[in-house]
Amino acid sequence: MTRHPLDQAATTLGVAGVASLVFSATTSSNNNFVTMQGAGLIVFPVLGLCAVVGGITGRRILVRLAGAGYGAAAILQLAQFGRSTNWIDGSGSTFALLLALAIGLLVVGFAPRETHTGTLTGPTRRSSSAG
Amino acid sequence: MLLAVLRVGVAIMWIENVGWKRPPDFSSLRGFTTDAVEHPVLSPFSWVVEHVVLPNFTFFAWMTLLLEASIGAFLFIGLATRLWALIGIGQSLAITMSVLNAPNEWEWSYYLMILAHIGIFATAAGRAYGLDGVLRPIWRSSNGRLPRVLMRLS
Repeated sequence: MTRHPLDQAATTLGVAGVASLVFSATTSSNNNFVTMQGAGLIVFPVLGLCAVVGGITGRRILVRLAGAGYGAAAILQLAQFGRSTNWIDGSGSTFALLLALAIGLLVVGFAPRETHTGTLTGPTRRSSSAG
Repeated sequence: MLLAVLRVGVAIMWIENVGWKRPPDFSSLRGFTTDAVEHPVLSPFSWVVEHVVLPNFTFFAWMTLLLEASIGAFLFIGLATRLWALIGIGQSLAITMSVLNAPNEWEWSYYLMILAHIGIFATAAGRAYGLDGVLRPIWRSSNGRLPRVLMRLS
């Protein structure tokens, strides 16, 4: 069965959310790529798994929920970053990654599906109108 | 595939560097911003930093945080990639003009940042393994103004 490219994109973004746990393995206080600790160790993989399941099963509501969850977490992180209360225990880098996954999953979750021929697995033909 | 590696790598560079822009005082960012005045690269830019940015530093620091987080986020997922590559070039230029003449800076760091974004723009790197590649067929078949704009920006 060929899965819809939007479902493939949702799955890929979900996998990225789960795989971002790798950033928790960095030991440097300077070169840590993305601050990943505390509740972030739960938020990223759980919402990522939700997106993966949504992508695999084609249930867009799960993709939208995952995107909304990442979005809520991003807003929370932005509001608490640098304060004594920091529920996700992250930094600006955590906020930026949450923002990326939120935007990506919400765009994919709400994109219209008719007349779609795109693919996530390689470059598409360049349109002459797009320069 | 290698274009996606470039795009995501540059995105993670921005994402990581949002981490040390720490509110509410943004002390590290203030130091680099002050370099634009203490070690000027371009006089008009230094004047703007001294008389506009530093007196309103908290506002500009938040804008920097949000802008760089957005550059990282959009390049990471490959959405409107050419637009965000252009914005990345602009922000890289601002950083270059702030710190290029500061002590212990390697000027090619900033030239390479600009060149990497030019590469992402020139190759429309979001079309390879990015959301631009998934969504452009949808935008192409749509009649609205926004899809036409997004075709240009991707």
